[in-house]
Amino acid sequence: MSTSDGWLAAALVPLLALGPVLWRIAHGPAKDRLVGQNLVSLLAGLALLLAAQGFGRPSYTDVALVVSVLGPTGTLIYARFLDVLPDSRLVKWTALIGVPATVLPLCVATGPGRAMAKLLLVGALLIAGSVVTSARGGDGGTTA
Amino acid sequence: MAAVLEVLVWWIALTGIWLVLISTVDPLEVLVGAVAALAAALLARAGRRAVAAQ
Repeated sequence: MSTSDGWLAAALVPLLALGPVLWRIAHGPAKDRLVGQNLVSLLAGLALLLAAQGFGRPSYTDVALVVSVLGPTGTLIYARFLDVLPDSRLVKWTALIGVPATVLPLCVATGPGRAMAKLLLVGALLIAGSVVTSARGGDGGTTA
Repeated sequence: MAAVLEVLVWWIALTGIWLVLISTVDPLEVLVGAVAALAAALLARAGRRAVAAQ
């Protein structure tokens, strides 16, 4: 197994995790759908970062950057419509553990430079977006 | 003074982000980025003040 295969195998983890989340979005109550929508953008961002390295296409990182900005924004917009922003430990901890676990090995593989700064920026945006949209309010959450 | 400082901090941060995200760094890109970042910095301050006034 070559190195790029390893990155692609790693990209399968967030990609396969999308399955149950998408099922929940299709069948769950409104609150769960909102959490799922939030989680989907986070997982998609991580999969895109790993795919960029695995396929040797740095432009996929740009898509991850766009997702990291628009994902939490979309969640906040729907939270406004649904009048609730649910707390979600799942989203918060997926971000706090998954993002460093993805971005730090990618940084080591990339080496110092602007590409690494970009990776760190995308990682910071993914964490910040997920924490802001998942850890607000005490019981049940409040609107933004 | 606080206004200048706020815009300056935004401008430095946004110009830095621009320089990280563009594919090739050349003088024209830097100029365009610096001007765009200044406009965005002024917008950021205006946006914060609009939200704070509510």
